[in-house]
Amino acid sequence: MIETLASGQLLFAALAAGATYALVALGLNLVYGTMRLLNVAHGDLVMLGGYAAYWCFTLAGVSPLVSLAGIALAAAALGSAAYYGLFRRMLGASATAARLESNSLLLFFGVSIIVQNAAALAFTATPRGYQYLAEVHHFGNIALTGNRLAALLVAAALLAAILAFLRLHIFGLALRGLIEHREGAAVVGVDIDRVQHASFALGFGSAAVAGALLSMTEQVSPFTGFPYTIAAFVVVIMGGLGSIGGGMLAALLLGLLETYGVALTSSNYRSILLYGVFVLVLLTRPQGLFGRRAIVR
Amino acid sequence: MTTRRTFVIRLIAASGLAWAVSGGTALAQGAKPVRIGFSIAKTGIFAAAAPSQLNAYELWREQVNARGGMEIGKEKRPVEFVMYDDQSNPAQAAKIYEKLITDDKVELLLAPWGTPMHVAVAPVLERLRFPMVGNTAASVKVRELKPGNIWFTTAAIPDRIGRELAAMLKANGVKSAALLTNVLPFGKEIKGYLEPALKRAGIEIKVNEEYPPDVKDMTAMLARVKQAAPDAVLALSYPGDSALYVRQAKELGIGARFQFVMIGPAMDFFPKALGSAANDIVTVGEWSPARNARAKGFHAAYVAKFKEKPDYLDSALAYMSCEILEQAVKSAGLDKTRLREAISKGSFETINGTVRFKGVENALTKTGFLQLQSGEPQLVWPAAEATAKFRPKTSW
Repeated sequence: MIETLASGQLLFAALAAGATYALVALGLNLVYGTMRLLNVAHGDLVMLGGYAAYWCFTLAGVSPLVSLAGIALAAAALGSAAYYGLFRRMLGASATAARLESNSLLLFFGVSIIVQNAAALAFTATPRGYQYLAEVHHFGNIALTGNRLAALLVAAALLAAILAFLRLHIFGLALRGLIEHREGAAVVGVDIDRVQHASFALGFGSAAVAGALLSMTEQVSPFTGFPYTIAAFVVVIMGGLGSIGGGMLAALLLGLLETYGVALTSSNYRSILLYGVFVLVLLTRPQGLFGRRAIVR
Repeated sequence: MTTRRTFVIRLIAASGLAWAVSGGTALAQGAKPVRIGFSIAKTGIFAAAAPSQLNAYELWREQVNARGGMEIGKEKRPVEFVMYDDQSNPAQAAKIYEKLITDDKVELLLAPWGTPMHVAVAPVLERLRFPMVGNTAASVKVRELKPGNIWFTTAAIPDRIGRELAAMLKANGVKSAALLTNVLPFGKEIKGYLEPALKRAGIEIKVNEEYPPDVKDMTAMLARVKQAAPDAVLALSYPGDSALYVRQAKELGIGARFQFVMIGPAMDFFPKALGSAANDIVTVGEWSPARNARAKGFHAAYVAKFKEKPDYLDSALAYMSCEILEQAVKSAGLDKTRLREAISKGSFETINGTVRFKGVENALTKTGFLQLQSGEPQLVWPAAEATAKFRPKTSW
């Protein structure tokens, strides 16, 4: 038992899970943070990204690590379209903006149902999977499947890049400014429309990338997205809504909790552990682990 | 979240989203189509499993219509489907079957997907005295259903699986096993019969764990299996976690020479998604295209139409139920009393050999197991019906 705990095998599993959660949750957090839009169709973007990678690989033989870039761009374009088509006007008018948080929930819910069923109609509900980097590598006593390792590395690199962008680049700073204080950001001259647009594109793009990475390690079907929506919400709320770095740390924490918690108890306690800690965090720190109390709006 | 989602789904369903689609192809002028109703899990948790069944129905309809239609008395009538999405919800399925019978006034019924749906629909059939040949349901609970209006083509009933699997393990010299059980009903029910059967066969259970259906990582559980090094791993799993098991067992290099994975390996996606890692995995299934000429024809037609292999479990069961219905209608017509008689007492030629019912159960088909050999499911148990010999799993 102790051997297993200390072996590194579990650490790898925990990191892989954590990185996936972090990447999936990132987009949700961006869209919520900047616009207070609750995107319950977020997991469905993950699903679409998975399908895109699957078809690129099986029809054209394109490695998911290559098609990733195209998938990210296509999803970003979809985010753009959603922003301009569905939300821009509502965000602009004060009458609708006040109710937007709850309205967006219903709107995205509708989008989710349409996307899932359109996918079922187009691709059938049969699970799809493919073989890519499926060979096992051994490092000491740790065994790693190539695709899990690749997914972990790509996700970690992307997360680091996005975090750096948000902390160092002027546009990233504007985005964070908008998350922290909308009116304040407007006063100091942040182009709110542009930043909102970028959050949508980045949010959608990163979700689809997560889907493409996941398609290497698990099957995709039209209804695989919803569990990721739930996971993303847990991560985002636990980390603090709108706190990008906080979300990433919460994701890592969940990955560790899930893996080591299960190892110490039993797989059947997974949900109890996850949601138990989640509820505990909400009870003790309602604003999330890294969220700020009393955000002025 | 979940409640709101369910609520909205119900709202939409109630407002008549249920997409009744008749898939009938316009055929011979004059003959009125026979309308056959059923519900299927187009959405919800069972949606990924249902296409293997629906495809079999569609193939059968196409073939019957190509022959000029179903023989009813002296005439031939084309088949038309009336299909609704039951959203993987048993209560919804029960409502749909009531509507199919009383409102749509369909002349015949086909079965929905899965045990919970069958069990939910059975009382409706009983109350409205409407016979239906079931297919993809497997639980000892089905035997408690009143015989007369529902029958089951499957032989994969949990008590029989428990008995036969233990016998097969013993026959192959297995002395110890790890038992990993998904807590969904079919897995738990099999576990209930398998544990005592293993004990009786003198097979030690070295690891005995359960896991939830939404499991995303099995590393910790499989590390324990690896440490125990049993002769056999018996994963009572469903398609999603079956694939997860194979991926992670390969990663950790689980060396058991007998590896049983309950549901999934007989489906087309499984060897495609997992490649050589899926080789020599044993699974539930009692059908093979090598069974007879009908089976071969069915397999070839299915592959030609859908560009993938049928699910050796569900597609075969679903197609058998269509064959039985067609033959019963040919001899008895559409009168429900005569049809009930015909199904209960008749004997039918199917892609899985002759089928006769005793009560609700298929009395002739033997419970069996398939093994994926070079990507192809082969019947390896019972020995008398095997299409290939069991091969120990020696590599990933």
